[in-house]
This record gives sequence, structure tokens and C-alpha cells, in this order.
Amino acid sequence: MNKSTSQRLPPLKRNWWLKHRFFKLYMLREATVLPLVFFILCFLAGMVALLQGAESWQGWIAFMGSPIVLLLNLLALAASLFHAATFFVLFPRVMPLRIAGHSLPDKAIVAGQWAGVVAVALLFFWLLGRGGV
Amino acid sequence: MSMNKHDIQHKQAFDEPLWWGLFSAGGVCFAVLLPAVILFIAVLLPLGLLPAEALSYERASSLLFSVPGFLFVGAAVCLPLFHAAHRLRHGMFDISVGNDALNKKLMYGGAALLSALALGLVVAGFFS
Amino acid sequence: MSTEQISTNVISTQSASTKHISVKRYLPDNSTETYWQEYDLPVDDSTSLLDALNHIKEQLDSTLSYRWSCRMAICGSCGVMVNGIPKLGCKTFLRDYEGDIRIEPLAHFPVQRDLVVDMEIFLEHLAAVKPYLIDDNPVKPYDPNAPETYQQTPEQLERYKQFANCINCGLCYSACPQFGLNPEFLGPAALTLAHRYNLDSRDNGKKQRMAELNRHDGVWSCTFVGFCSKVCPKHVDPAAAVNQGKVEAAKHTLIALFKG
Repeated sequence: MNKSTSQRLPPLKRNWWLKHRFFKLYMLREATVLPLVFFILCFLAGMVALLQGAESWQGWIAFMGSPIVLLLNLLALAASLFHAATFFVLFPRVMPLRIAGHSLPDKAIVAGQWAGVVAVALLFFWLLGRGGV
Repeated sequence: MSMNKHDIQHKQAFDEPLWWGLFSAGGVCFAVLLPAVILFIAVLLPLGLLPAEALSYERASSLLFSVPGFLFVGAAVCLPLFHAAHRLRHGMFDISVGNDALNKKLMYGGAALLSALALGLVVAGFFS
Repeated sequence: MSTEQISTNVISTQSASTKHISVKRYLPDNSTETYWQEYDLPVDDSTSLLDALNHIKEQLDSTLSYRWSCRMAICGSCGVMVNGIPKLGCKTFLRDYEGDIRIEPLAHFPVQRDLVVDMEIFLEHLAAVKPYLIDDNPVKPYDPNAPETYQQTPEQLERYKQFANCINCGLCYSACPQFGLNPEFLGPAALTLAHRYNLDSRDNGKKQRMAELNRHDGVWSCTFVGFCSKVCPKHVDPAAAVNQGKVEAAKHTLIALFKG
């Protein structure tokens, strides 16, 4: 291609996203990974504790129950749901599904993904919610 | 012929499809899997709202240190880690922190290391 | 021209009122500084922002510069920022605004004068993706005695039709923070048009365009902010096209890897 000769503006300042509600919501969406990383680090610690023995495992459960950790993990739960709400609507736009030559309505794809969330929660309830095996 | 300059300008991003693929797969796991995972493991369990034996030391070990446990860690830890790494890398570019070439190595490298650790723990538990 | 003047000036007495708008001025011949200029204008329910700018130019201040042509959202030349959001002047109505109305030139483009921006960089990015039908190896050689048209079924048209509605107004570039952060990013409209031609059953230029798309400054700079699709006056959904382009670029890379 030709060498570009057109004028360039300096890049945006780092506070560009504070200037519009839409961009703040975008940044909030991107920031959902921060509490996610916190939860994953907790989970990794739990795996180490489980490997170390029963006492460590009980200690880890107590650690998970401490107010700040619990609060941050509740935030992670909220973040995962907000992420889901923003992510599911993108899916039909990135990969429009076609069945028998007709494109599937966006709402059906979004609803299907929420059904997946509920199904996983039910699986967890079946696995963990009913007491011993 | 300034073929070199041309090549640099038109350098194909062979790695980006990989990062984006991992980001997308991780995004699906974060959205579909993680709400239940966080609810049960990080909220109900420490609050004592699960039946006592549900995640006792023995049961938790047998659930996690198994083949399904390995797959579960891949979907609930590794892929979401790459999802997070991708968003953090682009987020840092958005707010002009660091430089992208270095951020890329740090973020994806960190995700790869933690993923290897997580899967290694499952394998170690499986054989212990 | 006189009919134009009449339609601008005669405002029905029932609904006529006055609105206040601020316009960001830049007159490089006088000063390198920009400044805000205030205007009060008579408006009714049918007054578009373009009508308002024309009223200023013809009645109040002939020094104001702005671009316009068709008045019907097809030429794509009257884009400006209205209260920080990119809009077409002809498709924006003052009746929808209470209080402040701040008019600025389109963001992320160098300003030449008042509301007139330099769109050269957008045109460069557009040219880079070859937004036209490419058919270097037609199935049948052209026969002047029996010229054949390219046929396309309604289903084949449907695949790219939405993405073909782009009018090159550049609003999506002003809405895109990734373009604002990195002007080398090919940007929403160029990537959308690339996808539009890649989806066209008559086209064979996908390979050439993929080389442009599968770069860091191609599809991979997009983070699906999605504001481009919100501001698009033709409902093209460039964000969807760019991200479908990522899927295509990923496929292209996989194929390239296997072919070595």
C-alpha cells in the first residue's frame, strides 16, 4: 500500500472512558476479570490445601469464610453474572447461527446460553446440595 | 524496493487468533460455569450452607483429583485465566499502561504458568 | 436555492421556539486556538441540526464552515459530534434535545476548520482492504458476444446486505476508542466493508483482504466496545462485522498453518 501521508492525532488520554456512560460500562465489563482472578487464586490455594491434607482443607474453608474474602467472592459472583449478561448478547453477533438456511433469532441464542447457566447450577446442586453420596 | 518496510507493516498476527480463541472459550466458561462454581465453592461452602459431607476432605479430594476433575479445572480455571489475561492486556492498552509487547508476554505467560500449576496439582493429587 | 431559503426561514408559528446551540470554532487563519461560539436560532419540530447550521451560515454568521450535501442520510458528509456523540446533522433533530446542544467536529480526526475534518486516514484504511469485487480468475472467460452477468440468489445477497449499507460517514471512527488510541487500526467501516466483500458470492478477493485483516492493526485491535454499532446511522452493525472478521482471520491462520 502507499506510504501513508495523512495527518495523525496524538492518541487519546488515558481517561477517555470517563467521558461517556457507554464507555464506563465497557470498562466495567472489562474489569469483571479482576474479581475473577481473585476467585481463581483462592481456588488454586484451595487445591494446594486439599493436596496438603484434611487440616489444611478445613483451614482453607475458614479462610474463605473470612468477611473480606467472602465479600470479594460475592463480588466475583456478581461479576460473573454481569459478564454473562454482556457476553451472551455478543455471541449471536460474532457467530450468527443458521439452521436450514434461516438465521436463528438472537433472543433464542441468548436464552439458550442462560439455560446453560441454570443447567450448570442444577448440576452443582445435584452434586453438592444433597448431602453425602 | 522497500520490501522490508512493506513486510513489517503487513506482518501477519499469527498468535492473535490463538489468544482470541482462548479468550472466547474462557469467556464462555466464565459466563456459563463460573456463576455456579463461585456460588457453591466460595459462598455456600464457607457459609456452611452445604450439607456437611458435600465437600468433606475425602469427597473434595475424590471429586477434584480425577479425570473429570482435570477437565473441570481446565474449564473453570485455565480457560478463564486466559480470558482474564486477554482482557487485562487490552485494558492496559486502553488506559495506556506499559507497552503491549511486554504486557502480552506478562499476561499470557502468567495465565499459562498458573494453568500449568492448576493442572499439575490435579495430577499430583491423582497420583498421591 | 430560494426554495431552500424559504423552507429554512418560514417556521410555523404554532410550534416555533428558540434554541441555543454552541459550536466549537477553529479558524486557523486567525488563531491556532479553538473557541466556543453561541447561537440562538428559531426552531420548530422539523428543524434538523443541518437546518440549524444552514440557518447560522445564511442568516447569522457566514464564516462558519461545515460539510453537507444530500440532507437525507445517504451522502454521509454532515457528521459532527453532538454533546460528545457522533451524529449525522441531517438525521439529528433539535426537538430531541433539552438544554445544552454542543456541536464539535468529528472526534479522532484532525480538524481543518470549524466542523470540517480531514478524513484522509479513513480513506487510506478503506483503500487498504480493497472494498470492491475482485475476480482475478473468473470461472468463464469474458466473451463479448455473449456477456454474462454475475448472478446472485436472494439468499446469497442476504449474507452481506446489512454490511453493504455503509455510507462512509466516519461516525464509527469517531465512536471507536481503539481508533482514537491507535490511528493505524483499520477501524470499523473499513473492516466491515472488507467483510462485506468477503461474504459476496461474486468475489474472489478474500485472500488478498485477509492479509490486511489478520494484522495487529487489522481485526485484532478491536475489543468489541460496540459503540460504533450504536452510532451507525444506517444500522450496519460494524462491531458484528469486525468480530465475524476475527473468526475468518482465525480460520485463515489455521489453514495457512496446515498448508505451511
